[in-house]
Amino acid sequence: MNHPNPAGQRSRFWQNFRRQKGAFRAWRLLQFMIFIAVFADFLANDKPLYCKIDGTHYFPILKQYTVDLGLSAWPADFVTRRWKEQDYQKAIWPPIPYAAQTIDLKNSGFISPFARQRTNKLSERHWLGTDQLGRDLAAGLIAGTRVALLVGLVAMAIAGSIGLLLGAGAGYFGDSRLRIHPLPAILGIISNSWIIYYWLVSRTYDLLEGRLINNLLMALLCGTLVTGSLYILTRTLQKRGQLQHGWAVPIDALVLRLIEIVSALPGLMLILGVIALIKNPTIYHVMIIIGLISWTGIARFARAEMIKIRSLEYIQAAQVLGFSDGYIIIKHALPNILNPIIISLSFGMAGAVLLEAFLSFLGLGLGAESVSWGSLLNMARSNVAAWWMAIFPGLAIFLLVFTFNLIGEGLNKALERAD
Amino acid sequence: MTYFLQRLLLFVPTLFIISFFIFMLSKKAPGDPVLSLQQGGGILSDFSDLEFQEKTYRETAAFLGLDKPLFYVSLQPAAVPDTLYKFIYPDKKRALKGLIGQYGNWPLIEKYYSLLGVAEKEAYQLPDSVQGNALRQLRTELRLMQQHYKAEVLQAKFATIEQLFHEDPALAERMSQPIAALKAAWIAMITETRIDKLWYPGFHWYGTENQYHHWISGVLQGDWGKSYLDGSDVSDKIWRAVRWTLGINGVAILLAYLIAVPLGVYIATHANSKRDASITNLLFMLYSLPGFWVATLLVVYFTSPEYGMDWFPALGYPPYDPDRSIILTFAQRLYHLILPVFCLTYGSLAFITRQMRGSTLKVLRQPYIRTAYAKGLPRRIVIWKHAFKNALFPIITLLAGVFPAAISGSFVVEYIFSIPGMGKLTVDAIMARDWPVVYGILMLGALLTVAGILFSDMLYASTDPRVSFSKNQTNRS
Repeated sequence: MNHPNPAGQRSRFWQNFRRQKGAFRAWRLLQFMIFIAVFADFLANDKPLYCKIDGTHYFPILKQYTVDLGLSAWPADFVTRRWKEQDYQKAIWPPIPYAAQTIDLKNSGFISPFARQRTNKLSERHWLGTDQLGRDLAAGLIAGTRVALLVGLVAMAIAGSIGLLLGAGAGYFGDSRLRIHPLPAILGIISNSWIIYYWLVSRTYDLLEGRLINNLLMALLCGTLVTGSLYILTRTLQKRGQLQHGWAVPIDALVLRLIEIVSALPGLMLILGVIALIKNPTIYHVMIIIGLISWTGIARFARAEMIKIRSLEYIQAAQVLGFSDGYIIIKHALPNILNPIIISLSFGMAGAVLLEAFLSFLGLGLGAESVSWGSLLNMARSNVAAWWMAIFPGLAIFLLVFTFNLIGEGLNKALERAD
Repeated sequence: MTYFLQRLLLFVPTLFIISFFIFMLSKKAPGDPVLSLQQGGGILSDFSDLEFQEKTYRETAAFLGLDKPLFYVSLQPAAVPDTLYKFIYPDKKRALKGLIGQYGNWPLIEKYYSLLGVAEKEAYQLPDSVQGNALRQLRTELRLMQQHYKAEVLQAKFATIEQLFHEDPALAERMSQPIAALKAAWIAMITETRIDKLWYPGFHWYGTENQYHHWISGVLQGDWGKSYLDGSDVSDKIWRAVRWTLGINGVAILLAYLIAVPLGVYIATHANSKRDASITNLLFMLYSLPGFWVATLLVVYFTSPEYGMDWFPALGYPPYDPDRSIILTFAQRLYHLILPVFCLTYGSLAFITRQMRGSTLKVLRQPYIRTAYAKGLPRRIVIWKHAFKNALFPIITLLAGVFPAAISGSFVVEYIFSIPGMGKLTVDAIMARDWPVVYGILMLGALLTVAGILFSDMLYASTDPRVSFSKNQTNRS
């Protein structure tokens, strides 16, 4: 390793982070929420965790996973009868014996947490109340945790990879360091545009039949294959001393222009305008769109950090030693610019969670069948007397956003101190 | 000066790309714009009179400019003719695209399709009274065939027509000739394919007579199209809404600055004290509070008698009443605006205060502040006369960023409090599928954001002479 011991630096960074009480507590809270999101099915479900019927042992929640995967099927008895009405010899129920979609007809019409509820046992009580149809709010919140965290994670994974790739590339190569010989460059441009043309313009029939995603993936695959083989070919020829003098690619200027264009698009309006076009928008569409427009901040960060780092001695040493640019970026530069990126990812997650909550609050993001904190909060508007519908989902959104912001802030301070 | 010019020039391609993107999005909007406008604009169409219906359809399409090609150039497979745009019915265009995508031989496809039209017309010219059910069904089949492109569907349709002829020999006698010609053309089309023409692109230059040109020149001249809902001008609708949005955001941001600037200086001068810590933490929490939650809570608790705190008026706006005095109207509006403006203010307030604190702290560390103290100047004068001005400067340039963010935030507040601003207009337009309004607002938002970025860049450059173009490129982060 030619760079100044990133492991040591990172542990110091981590120590600095731990020293900040608020941020560290937020980190613990986030871990707790991740736990809820991962084990959501085991925390709130209308099926028992374990049960014994007619001497046979079942683990219905685990079995549901195999059924969903198509590996097994339910016995007829389970399909025709409700879970609550089975004759159990023994049963262990989840802490909240309702799924987000379970409708408790006896407790429909906005039952307050403190009101009298028509339940048989204390464990079946709706601790946070119900909505109009009689769905348990606590179960909805648990399912919503999964949605919220997934949105943050996927959106930022997309934004992070685009931002890091473009930003780090632009910062490292600048306007003059990336040199490509015109021959492979022109070949690459022509073949790739033809691939795009073929899959996305010429195959009209496929597109009319709604196979856009399929075609996009094929275009991506072909493009990667062609570009990859061209790259390998060029490298081999270069090692033999051919194709030496390349033209400079102004990659920095191009990336900056792209950042400018994307950040000039008004985010919320654009998302609303695009979602409106999708016939049956799902949570995944929302994640992808949020990811595709929120990478600019990360790209700017990565670029600025890379510019700072590229003139440092250890990078220059690696270049002199003849390591390839890709190797230097991945092995030497990226580990050292990662900390500021994590900070902006953390703030970005807060933004993505907020955006998704707002979209489902408007009723535009998700399909009607999925539950998220925003859609739960929206129900408070139809009945102002149901204070629990206004307080708890909003509190959940606030807590998660606040958590991400606190972590971001804490990482920021830790980084300042480590420098 | 050259910096300004360069910056301005660079925004032309940016705006072009953004406008093209928004234009293409608007073209992907579901529904037939002609029918939507006809329904909303109250243009009656008599559904029994086919010819009249087609005439009004064509006229409306021409009015919307839909009878023109999409863009200056077209990039399509060589098999696609450059005159495809002349088919204005979306379902017919779709069917033709499907046929071209499968067979690629345009002359034969065109022949088949025109024969289909001929056959349909002949079927309609047969007197109703002579033939009964079979003729009516034949008409429907021929009509439907114009919207289909799959071989198996068309095959089935031909079989159905055979069946009809079988049932009704009189119909067969009159119609068998055009149908036979049609079938021959169909078979020729699906056998003599030219798939190779799909493999390479064909370019065509249409000049300025195209839909994008029509649209963008309209946008630049202030003609933003007509709303599908009531046929009124989109620009009028947006302008009426923008006034509200700008009004409440202006008030909110002014309030935020008025409170945030002194507060920021105060906590910066008491940095690291207990009070600083608690205010900073409180502001950080405020900053993370989702606006739509706060707004919902305020609506739930303060505008309904449910909890005994019915202090503020219910949602929406009282209609303008000319009998009431101006002062009363103003007071009433103000009363309605208290809650929404509060919701808009607290987020910006938290953000600006944090920035003000940071920038003041930075200035207070400068040597010239130490000099001022060393001269024996009182603390008040050092802070307000020496430090304040320099600390305030970055906060003012922040305005360009705060404003677009605030407008985004006001979407929420307007929607929840039913204020007839941009946010409510957008959400309502999306729910009602009123696309001209939706994409008009998107375009306006993009224009405003670009203008904001330009403005802040120029403000920055005009006050900080060190910023040159090249430097700006490397230092923006």
